[in-house]
This record gives sequence, C-alpha cells and structure tokens, in this order.
Amino acid sequence: MDPTTAMYVAQGINGLSYGMVLFLVASGLTLIFGMMGILNIAHASFFMLGAYFCFQVVSMTGNFWIALLLAPIAAGFLGVLCERFLLRRAHALGHVGELILTVGVAMVILECIKIFWGTESLPITVPPILQGLSKIGGLEYPTYRFFIIGLAFVILSIMALLLYKTRLGMIVRAAVSDADMVGALGVNVPVVFMLVFGVGTWLAGVGGVAVAPILTVYPGLADQIGMDAFVVVVTAGFGSLKGAFIVSIIFGFLNAYGIQFVSQLAPVLMFSFMAVVLAFKPAGFFGEIES
Amino acid sequence: MNWIAKSVLWAVLLLIVVFYPHLFGLYFTNIFVVFAIFALFAVSFNMLLGYTGLLSFGHTMFFGVGAYATAIALERIEGLPLLPAVLIGLLAAIALAIILCPLLVRVSGVAFSMLTLAFGQLMHVLAMKLRWLTGGEDGIGGFPIPSLNIPGIVSIDISDPIQFYYFAMVVLAGCIWVIWFLTKTPFGSIQVGIRDNAVRVDYLGFKVPQSKAVIIILSSGFAGVAGSIYALFQNLISADDAFHVFHSFVPVIMTVIGGMGSFFGPIIGSGILSIIDEVTSRYTERVDLVTGLILILVIMFAPGGVAGLFGDIRKRWFRKETDKAAMEENS
Repeated sequence: MDPTTAMYVAQGINGLSYGMVLFLVASGLTLIFGMMGILNIAHASFFMLGAYFCFQVVSMTGNFWIALLLAPIAAGFLGVLCERFLLRRAHALGHVGELILTVGVAMVILECIKIFWGTESLPITVPPILQGLSKIGGLEYPTYRFFIIGLAFVILSIMALLLYKTRLGMIVRAAVSDADMVGALGVNVPVVFMLVFGVGTWLAGVGGVAVAPILTVYPGLADQIGMDAFVVVVTAGFGSLKGAFIVSIIFGFLNAYGIQFVSQLAPVLMFSFMAVVLAFKPAGFFGEIES
Repeated sequence: MNWIAKSVLWAVLLLIVVFYPHLFGLYFTNIFVVFAIFALFAVSFNMLLGYTGLLSFGHTMFFGVGAYATAIALERIEGLPLLPAVLIGLLAAIALAIILCPLLVRVSGVAFSMLTLAFGQLMHVLAMKLRWLTGGEDGIGGFPIPSLNIPGIVSIDISDPIQFYYFAMVVLAGCIWVIWFLTKTPFGSIQVGIRDNAVRVDYLGFKVPQSKAVIIILSSGFAGVAGSIYALFQNLISADDAFHVFHSFVPVIMTVIGGMGSFFGPIIGSGILSIIDEVTSRYTERVDLVTGLILILVIMFAPGGVAGLFGDIRKRWFRKETDKAAMEENS
C-alpha cells in the first residue's frame, strides 16, 4: 500500500472507533428518549463517570479488565438511582421540568467529580496486550483502536439481540412507541423505564471506559463527546436506533477525515451536516414527524 | 393589591435603585450591575420559555454575539460612540436570529432545545477558531470604552463604575420594561396562545411560524443588548464567557428558580443566583454544586419556583378574597 492510502485507512480506523464509541453513548440516549420522552442532558456525565471510575479501579487494583467490568456497572447503578429517586418523581412536571432536572444532575456530577478527583487530566495505562501496534496488510495500526471497535461491536450485538429477539426487548420496543398502552396491558412500565435508564447509562459508562486511555480523564470529557452524541440523536431522529448507528459512523468518519483536511473547522462539519439534514427533514433522518 | 400599594412599591424600588451605589458601596454596586445584566438576559429568555413554550439551550449565542459585536466594533472602529456600539450588538444578535429562524421555527419541543444547543456550540467553536476576528480563547479585552455623549442632554464618563451603573440601569430597565409592555399587547397574547395550543392559534388565522420567528428575533435582540452591556462592563469578552454551554444554562436556571410562569420570576431568579454566588464563593470554590442542588430541589419540591411559592402563600393568606373572586367568576 502506498503511504497516501495507508493514511486514509488509518484515519478510517480512527473514525470508525470514534463512531462506535459515539454510538455506545448515543444508543442509550436515544433509547431513553424514545421511551421516557426526556433528553437526558446528564447522559454524558455518566459517560464521564465511567471514565473516572475506570481510573479509580485501575489505580486501586492495577487491572484494566476489572475496571472494564466494574466501572460501567457503577455508572449504571448511579443512573438507576437517579431515575428512581429524581426523574420518576419529577415525571408529573412534564418534559421541560425533567429536562431541566437533568441539567441540575449534570452540574452536580461535574462538581462532585472536581471535588473527588480534581481538575487535572489523569492518565490510564492499558494492559500490555492492548498496547503497541498490530499489523494489517503490511502496515501497523494502534491495537487499542481495534479493541474499541471490537468491544463496541460485541456489546452492541448483544444489545441488539436482547432488544429484537427477547420478550423483554419486545416490551421495551413497545414502550418506546407507546408507553401508556404497554402499561395498560399490565406491564410494570416504571420498572422497565428504570431498567432501560440503567442499561443506557451502563452503555455510556462502557463508552467512558473505552475512551479513557486515549483521551485521558479530565472534567471536560462530558462536553466533548456529550455534545457529539446529542447531535447524533437529533440528526438521526429521536428514538431511532438504526438512525443513531448510521449517523454515529458517518460522524466518526466526518470527524477523522475532517481533522485531516480542514483541521481548524472539523467540529463545524458535524453541525453543518445536522443543519442541512434538519433543514430538509425537521424530525431528523429516521424520525417520524409527530402529529 | 390595589393601585396605591402598587405605586408605593414601585416608588420604593425606584428609590432603592437610584440610591443603591451610595448605600452599599462600589463592590455591591458591581454585583448589582451583573445581576441586572443577567436579569435582562433571563427575561429575554423567558419570552421564549415562559410565554411561548420554547426551551432554548443556546440562548447565550445571542448574548455572546451581542457582546462580541460591541467589542469588535469598539476595537476596530476608532471613535465609535457608545450608543451605536450597543446598537451594533443588538443588530448583530438580531442578524444571527434572522439567519437561524428558518430552521428554528420548524421544530418545537425537545428538538428546538437540541437545535439551539447545537447552534450555541457551533458559535463556541467558531469563536475559538476564528482567531483573527475573535482572539480565540483569550477573547477580546482592553478595547476603548467611549463616554456617553448626547449633546445637550447628557455627557457622562462611564469608565467610572457609579456612572456606568446608572447608564446600565437605564438601558437594562428600559429593555425589561419594553419586554413587559410587549407581553401586554395583543401580540403577547398570541405568544401565550402558541404555547398553549398552536393549532388553535393557526385556525384563528395567525401565522404560527412567522409569529414564532418574530418572538425569537425580539428575544435575541434583547439578549444581544444584555451581552453588549456585559462586554462594556467587563471590558473583556472571551469564548467561554460568551458561548459556553453552561452559560446557556444560566438563564434556564434563573427562570426555573424564580418561576417560569411569571414575568418577574427570572428577575427574582437572577437575584437569588447572585446572592448564592456571592455567599457560597466565600466558603467554597464549588458554587455550581450548590446551584445544581438548589435547581434539583426547586424542580422536585417547588416546580413553580419562588414566584410560585409567593403565589401559594398569597392564596393561603388571602383565601377569603380568592374564594370570593372565584365564585364571582363562576356565577
């Protein structure tokens, strides 16, 4: 392969891995939105919590794999608590109240992180097996990027199987389209809500652990990926998983090649893409227009 | 309240505002200016949320554009008088609103919030990247601040904080009064109608998207004025100060804490937030933690905000009168 092609491929792998992480975060966001009608502004905070828990576990045990297991669970557990004790009680106030409540949660999480871990960026070392470069087609790429792509792919396949092949998944999908009707059929909808919120924040936590070694852990992490995830969900159409997947991957590539060609304005590309999509389809790529 | 009590209340408020700098000294005067700037910002935001039902998460982009426009104009154009500089801030915010309106009026609900959030972020990125214009992360500082000269009427040097206080109060209170006046006009009723039932307003023969566009443009213009005064007050405007997403949440928080349904709610909220900021920053650096907790508590236990609490208390104290009024209404 000549160097130019190699560069394109390397950027493509970067883009794909970023897109996969983005989808880990955005999938939870769009599921929660589809079911409960709230856009969880604090979602990116759970993503960041995942990264910080990962740092904590790694610095305590020295083992990245334990962190990969425990940190997302801790983030998901906090998500469940947040749903059970805050959001559920605010449900009567309507969407605006809930949306603003999540703003408050995001502020509190950010400040707590600053109190516990300070404001510097914290490095995380990955186990030796994921370090270094792996050879593909005679050229070398960072192994960790492949690990991220693989991890996200496995987790998302499992989630897709759960969602589309099990009875529970069927209930969740039904609740996304009409929660009241599912409740009328005798399903305990609040418990399903809590479960989906927990799984959604767990997915965000996995995303946080995955990017922690690349980006290092710092309090601005939520802004960076959170905003991208919101843009993905808006562009794809609220509540659409398929759309979120496609748009996440597009944004991953847009980001990677954007940095290569118009490095100064790379972040603008995504917003422009969104503006163009919304100009023609206000409900997003795959969104249905609410009547 | 009858009109005598009302006019006495306004007279007392006016006296307090006029004599405030002499009563409390320079330090609290500056805090009061910041409070008033954010009060206008929050009131302009509440034109969208409280009166039209549009929750904007990017309102700070209009604030920021107003601030940057004034700062850049004063930096680049030599000898630019004060009022045209503020006017440039106003016009820049309106221009941005006119550009964004075709997109913004097509969506409502959460999509509107996210779209404004994203455009706010876009402005943040642009302010960081267009270094030749905005100075990047450092922003623009130390631009000349002209004195206010209207021949034959006033001539004051606003680099003096006390003089600046009076200048800011006149502009900000004037803007807030104009917004209050707008809510009392038939157009203000259309706003509330769009919030409560857009379809019905449409059937009544009013054009909903166009009305929304006018509201967004007006509201952004006032946010631009607030930003412009802010830039003059600080003599510095930076990308984080102008466009950061948390800066967009500030008017949201103020409006919710003060009370969404009320015109004076955002002003009360701005006052409460200034007090929280002033008191907690003496004990801890983590002011946002306290603000966030209060926001959560208000949403959970007092969704009507402070203005709503006042309303409840008034109902409880003057129950007889309200009952009577309710009966008269029903009969």
